[in-house]
Parts: sequence; C-alpha cells; structure tokens
Amino acid sequence: MVHSGVVSLQGVTKSFGSLTAVDDIDLTIDGGSYCCLLGPSGCGKTTILRMIAGHETPTSGEIQISGVSVLGQTPVQRGTAMMFQSYALFPHLTVLDNVAFRLKMQGMAKRERRAKAHETLEKVQLNHLAERMPAQLSGGQQQRVALARAVITNPQVLLLDEPLSALDEFLRLQMRGELRRMQRELGITFIHVTHTQLEAIAVADLVVVMDDGHIVQASAPEDVYARPTSAYVARFMGGQNVLRGVVQSVVGPTVTLRSDQGQIFEVDSAQISAAAGDIVHLSIRRDHTELEKSDAVPTQPNHVVGKVIAIEYQGTYVKVTLDAPDNREFVSHVPDDKYLAQRVDVGDQVVVSWRAADVHILADDHRKSESGPDLELAS
Amino acid sequence: MKSRNLIPYLQAAPLAIVLFLFLAAPLALVLVVSVFRNKLFVGLVPAFTFENYFSILTNAVNYQLYLSTLKFTVIVLAVTMVLGFWIAYFLVFHVRSLLIAIGLFLVCTVPFWTSNIIRMISWKPLLGREGLVNTALINSGVIDQPILWLLFSDFTVVLSYVHLFTLFMIVPIFNSMARIDKSLVEAAVDAGASRWKVIWNVIVPLCKTGIGLGSVFVVTLVMSDFFVVAVMSGGLSGSVSSGVFFDLGILNYPRAAANSIVLLAIVVLIAAGILRVVDVRKELTG
Amino acid sequence: MHKHQKRPWTFYVLATLFTLFVIFLYGPMISIFILSFQGPTGGLVFPLTDPGFHWFGALFGQARTGDVGGAFGRTLPLALAVMVATVVISVAAGLAFRRRFFGSSVLFYTALASLIMPGLVLSIGILVAFQFLGLPTRWYSSAFGAHLSWTLPFGLLIMFAVLSRLDPAYEEAAYDLGATRWQTLTQVVVPIVLPGIIAVSLFGFTLSYDEFPRSWLTTGPQNTLPIEIYTMTTTVTSPALYALGTVTTIISFLAIGLALGSIGYIQHRRRNKKSF
Repeated sequence: MVHSGVVSLQGVTKSFGSLTAVDDIDLTIDGGSYCCLLGPSGCGKTTILRMIAGHETPTSGEIQISGVSVLGQTPVQRGTAMMFQSYALFPHLTVLDNVAFRLKMQGMAKRERRAKAHETLEKVQLNHLAERMPAQLSGGQQQRVALARAVITNPQVLLLDEPLSALDEFLRLQMRGELRRMQRELGITFIHVTHTQLEAIAVADLVVVMDDGHIVQASAPEDVYARPTSAYVARFMGGQNVLRGVVQSVVGPTVTLRSDQGQIFEVDSAQISAAAGDIVHLSIRRDHTELEKSDAVPTQPNHVVGKVIAIEYQGTYVKVTLDAPDNREFVSHVPDDKYLAQRVDVGDQVVVSWRAADVHILADDHRKSESGPDLELAS
Repeated sequence: MKSRNLIPYLQAAPLAIVLFLFLAAPLALVLVVSVFRNKLFVGLVPAFTFENYFSILTNAVNYQLYLSTLKFTVIVLAVTMVLGFWIAYFLVFHVRSLLIAIGLFLVCTVPFWTSNIIRMISWKPLLGREGLVNTALINSGVIDQPILWLLFSDFTVVLSYVHLFTLFMIVPIFNSMARIDKSLVEAAVDAGASRWKVIWNVIVPLCKTGIGLGSVFVVTLVMSDFFVVAVMSGGLSGSVSSGVFFDLGILNYPRAAANSIVLLAIVVLIAAGILRVVDVRKELTG
Repeated sequence: MHKHQKRPWTFYVLATLFTLFVIFLYGPMISIFILSFQGPTGGLVFPLTDPGFHWFGALFGQARTGDVGGAFGRTLPLALAVMVATVVISVAAGLAFRRRFFGSSVLFYTALASLIMPGLVLSIGILVAFQFLGLPTRWYSSAFGAHLSWTLPFGLLIMFAVLSRLDPAYEEAAYDLGATRWQTLTQVVVPIVLPGIIAVSLFGFTLSYDEFPRSWLTTGPQNTLPIEIYTMTTTVTSPALYALGTVTTIISFLAIGLALGSIGYIQHRRRNKKSF
C-alpha cells in the first residue's frame, strides 16, 4: 500500500530540442514530507517541479503520485497545486475571489465558495484583506494569498516554485518558517524549488541537490550539509574545504593520502575501501579546523599552510581565508573569542590543521587507480 | 497534443482570411488589371500590355505630379519630425508627473480618433479671404489686403498635412522615448555631457526606431493622400494619388491600376528603406 | 525634493511650443464647433449672428444636405460591426502570435503592410475584385472588408503588445486551479487584457466611423457619412456642414471618452479598490 502524497519519478527525462534539461532521474518523495529541490539556475529543478505539476510533459519516464501514474492527467486530477514564483494572482479579482477561483471552476455556488475561501484565508491570517485587490498587498501578503489559493481544496502535493525569491531578507526568514508550519498543519507533501542552500536545509526533510539535469545527492539536510557525497555538493552547500590526494598506503585503520603539493592527509579506513594509487576527494568543515600563526611547517599530517588573504568578521566567528598551495582557497572559521586571543593579519603565514576523525570522504568522487589518476592529473 | 498544435492556426485563420480577401487578392487584381486594356464605353478588356505603364512613364504631367508629391513629402516629413521629436521630448523629459504626461499625450492623440475630413475643412473659416486670420490681421492694421494664399495653396496643403499627421510622428517617438531609462541621461550628464550632447548622443540614437516608424507613417500618408491636396489646394496642386483619382473619374481602370502599382512600389521602397534600419517587431515587444 | 528643483529654460520654450501645438490641433475644430451655431442668416465665417440650433435642424431635413440621416444609419452599424470583428479577430490572432507557427512572420508583416497600403489603391482592388466575382459593392460587404483591412493592423499591434506582456503564469495558474481552456480565456485572459481590448474597440469603431479613402469605391450606391461629408464640402455652402462636423465629432468624442474612461476606471479599480 502506497501512502497518500508519495511522489515518485522513474527514469524521467525532459528535452527541449537538443537541450536535455532533466536527464534520466529517479526520485521518491515520501507522502507528507517537505522536499526541497536545490541547485543553481538551469539545473533542471524547476522543470522537474513543472512536470510533477503537469505543466510540462516528460520526454520519457514515469511520474506517479500516491502510486498512480499521473502522466496525461490535469493538475486537478493529479491532486497537485502549484504556487508560482510570481504568485500569478489574478489582478482583476479580489483576494477572496482569487482564493475561491478553484472552487468557482468546479462550479461551486458563490455563497458556498466564498465561505470556504474565508475559512482558508483565516488560516493565513488574511481574512481582513479579503476584499482588496492583489496590487494593494505587500509581497508577503501576496505570497500568503497564493498559498491560500493553492491549498483551498487540500491537494495531496503542493508545488512551490522559488516561493521566497520575491521577498526581502527579513520576510524570507519569516515566511519560510510559516511554510514549514503550514506543511505540518496540512500534513501534505510540499515540494519546494530553491537555489538558496540555507533555505533548503532550514525547511526540508529531504534535500535534493541537482546539477545539470542530474540529482547529485538526495538526503536529509544534515547529511547534505555535513556529509556531502561529492566535491560538487560540498562546494555548493558551502561550509566545507575540499581537498584531493592519491592513496599512498593503507595500514590498519589509517589510509594515507598525498596531495599534488606533497601534503600528507590521514583518513580513517572505515570510511573508504581504497587501494594505493586511488584518487580520493575529502572535505573538512571550516569550523572543524584549528588555525595557528606559525612560520614552521609541522611534521604531523592533516594540515595546510598558507598566507592569509582575507579576514571577515561574522559575529560569532571569524572567517579566515588562506591561499592554499593548490591555488584553491582554504577557509577556516575561528570562534570569535579564540580569534580575539590570537589575532592574525592579512599576509601572515598560518597553519590550519584538523583531526583525522573530522575528515569526510566524498565517496562519489572516489576514482579507482586503473582509470582515474591519469585523467585527473591531466586536468 | 496534436490538437494543441492546430490552435494557433485556428486563432490566426480569421486574420489570414480577411487579409487575403481584402488585401492580398485585391492587390493582385490591381496588378492584373494594370496590364489590361481600357476601351471607351466597353471598359476593361483582358490583355497583357504595358501600355498603361508606358503612358504613365512617358507623360510629363505625371512627372510633375510625382515631383509635387515628393516636395510635399519632404517638407511635411521635416516639419512633423522636428515637431514630433520636441513634443515627445517635452512630455517624456520635462513633464515630471507621469499621469500628467500621459494626459497630455492623450490630448495629442485624441484627434486621431476623429474625422480627418472635418479636421481639414475646419481650417476654412479661419484661413479664407474673410476668415478669422485675415480679418484679425486687417483689423490690427498689419495688412490692408487679405492674404489669399492662406487658403487654397501649397501652404494650406502642407499646413493640413502637418495638422493631420504630426501625431503619427509623436506617438512612436513618445513610445520609444518613454522607454529610455532616465538614469542613462543622468549617467551621460555625470560623464560631462551637455544637454544638447545628451540629446544628440543618447536620446536620438535610442529613439531611432520611433523616428523611423513615424517617418514610414508620414511618408505613406502623404504619398497616398488625394483628398487633402484636392480640397486644400483648391485644385491647384495634385499628387500621384490624385492622378489615380482622376483616372477613376474618367473610368480608366487599367491606367488607374498601373498608376497605383507605381505608387505602391515607391511607397514600399521608401518604407522598406526606413524599416531596414529599425526592427519593428522588437519595438513592439521589447 | 524633486519639486523644488528649478526648471531648465528649455522647459518654458518647449511648454510654449506644446501649447501652441495644442491650439493648432484643436483651434480649427473649436471654430467650426462655434460656427455650427450660426443663425439662419449667418455665413460660413465669423461673426456669429443670431446663434441657435438652426443648422442642426436643417441637417436632418433632407432638403439641401443629402441623406445625412440615412448615412448615419449606415455608418454607425458599420462602425459597430467593424469594431466587434476587429476585437474578435485581433484577440484571436494576438493569442496565436504568442507561439511561433508556420507562416507567422508572413502573416505579421502582411498585416503591417496593410498599414502602409494606400487606401485608394485598396479601394480600387476591392472594387475590381467584387466586379470580378459579380458581386455588387455594398457598405455592409465590400466596405466592411475594406475597413477591416485598415483597423486590423492596429488591433493586432495593440493585442501583440498587450499579450506579449501577459505573464504565461496566469494561464498556467488557471490550468492548475482546474480551469478549462475556455474558462481560462473568458475568466482570466480576457479580463486581464480588457483595457487593451477596449483600446482595440476604440480603434475599430473610430477608424471605421471616419474612414474615407477606403470607403470611396467600396460603399456602393448608399453613402457612409465621411463620403457624404466629402460630397457636401463641394456642394453645400451653408453652416449645415459645420453642424454635421460638430455632430460627428461629438460622437467620436463620446466613443473616445467612453473608451479612455473605462480603461482608466479598470486600472484605478485594480490598484485602489477600498476594503469596506
């Protein structure tokens, strides 16, 4: 028995002419969960949303909602409702008539549908603006009207296309909390498209990170943030330093890596089954690093040395950027009290080190030695 | 899905049918008739002859008509362009309230929706021998004989054209000028440009499309006019179209048709020449 | 802050130019408006003697002025029919042009070509076409078509501009909310672009109502008003001509006022409707 509101995509591909926007995607979103499709613009996330909504037809593949194939069905038959990026509130109708529009299309009598619309407006605390025209509302109010209009008939799935992008920073934080509250209250599946990492991990149960028509990682927000499976996700989500090394030896619980610049990193072998010659990508959280002002090069592994090139005060911590030897920036977050105790300046030589246990292996980028090294070194 | 692809064709069909029946087909027939022969008391005789064109191109009177039309076109184009540009410039860059600018713009466009003939004949009580202008000038002692060329002369024709057609220049120029980002002007001033340099180097290039479209309208309107020149010159001047009008009067349809084709060819050439420089479709949607 | 800024001297020069232009535009119209109240013994020029409604009465008396009443009776229904046809055809075509389809460019440029087609040439063509088909020219057939070929490009250009600015999300939202294609058209698209449709109506009505060159050879034996007026310019030498000019201009102004007024009302309502 499939739960109500489960959305599943199987082998879904969408091409526009010669351009493939979505490439052979498999994804299952649990009923009653909050899912965020996250990625840079043009990665295919909106196309996926529109295919689930029925505004685009997949070139191939299958889409099911609650276990039933919905291809060829209208949005109403699918039990989906969409909230548009521009909200698309009809400018010629009052707030009340906008919210009641779906019921009017069903042929519900005026008195009845208006009563129902008032009820729904009550849920978003906008009943007092029922007779206003959309142009008279603030951005946040418009967004809530769009939400009310979408959920008036209790759809199984609510699809939100960049719902917060038109709002200013303050409202964005407020409204994302409200979206999450609304989702819990209604108990329906929310699928929310965004390009903002913090927005996704703040609201979602499932974060689907996309790149160039592919899903690169789909997991809980804490996993996407703290345990990315690829360098792309680690870099895209931020908060991580990505390093690369070739496996030198595997001795007991310790895998020893050597970077192109000759630095030695040690990794716990429990995370990875590697053999000498493999290329391994790893990530270290910026806040799991120790920064020390020092001209000496330490002898123990798990460190980078470099010159400080930027210092940004962030309130609770200080973001220190150094030019690591492979010409990639390496960032360390130093707690503010620690920083104040030992200040560094731009141009200072520093050593940043970390514990082997804090190293995370980017499993998807693991290259076995037969095919990998030459290709990687060539680039 | 198949039916969905048919929809644009169904939606465009009525337009296509009307344009075919009342534009393309009639034009094709004019072309056909222009090589027919005209026989007195019989009318059209199907033939394939260029004698109508020959009669037009060898007739010195026709050259005079073309010359006179060209003269009117150039004068009216120059006057309406200058007027249109400065009025649009005033509305867009000097009137501070958008609402007032739109209101004044509408004041300029309202006559478009009224009768041209009425607007034309309304000059008569002003410009005639005993008209308001002459009476006023005589009463104030500026002149002692009424100025006769005020009505029924080339002056009157140009005046009427400017009166009738300037708004065809104002509307497209206003339209493209209104889209100019005001910060471009401020940026030019910041860069040290004087008012005139801003106009010449920023505003004029950016409303080239509007000026082009307005010119196409004015040229076409002046060249295809036959009644303003007939009524307001008092029969003293003529135009190419009045040549066509004359041929129709004596029921010589083939020569009228040939004359029409020559006129149309000239109009299309001029319009195409101007439109090469401006992209109409972009102007409409951009 | 802006208000206190000193106006440049060009403002005063151009404001004067603009005022003179408006006087130039409306002055003559106003003078014939006044002269149409000329008394029975008054002439075609000022001064106004014994003003009254004499010439308005004479207008519909049929004695010296031709069939003005009949011409009105044909011109108004023709203008209304052209208006309705222009709206329907332009809206439909405007919707079509939102997507590329085979022949869309040819159709678009043909419509534009219709704008620069000399009216007299078109008139000849339609006359010959009707003769060729053995059909008589009538105000409700040949003239109707001739007028449409003049009003449609304007209607099309307006709808083209209006619909290209219409966010497709409105239609998708309607589809999402369960509207059929017809409901989307009648309850979403048409109401949203209603101001544009009213503008198209204004063009359709007034351009047909005042059209002269395209009517010249196409109205058949029974004249429309502009042709009647044109004939009168050569035959009638009384202020009755001015009275007729005043009457038809008032009708035009009513149409303009109605159209602009309702566009203004709709825009105002969408922005300022008060909650009660």
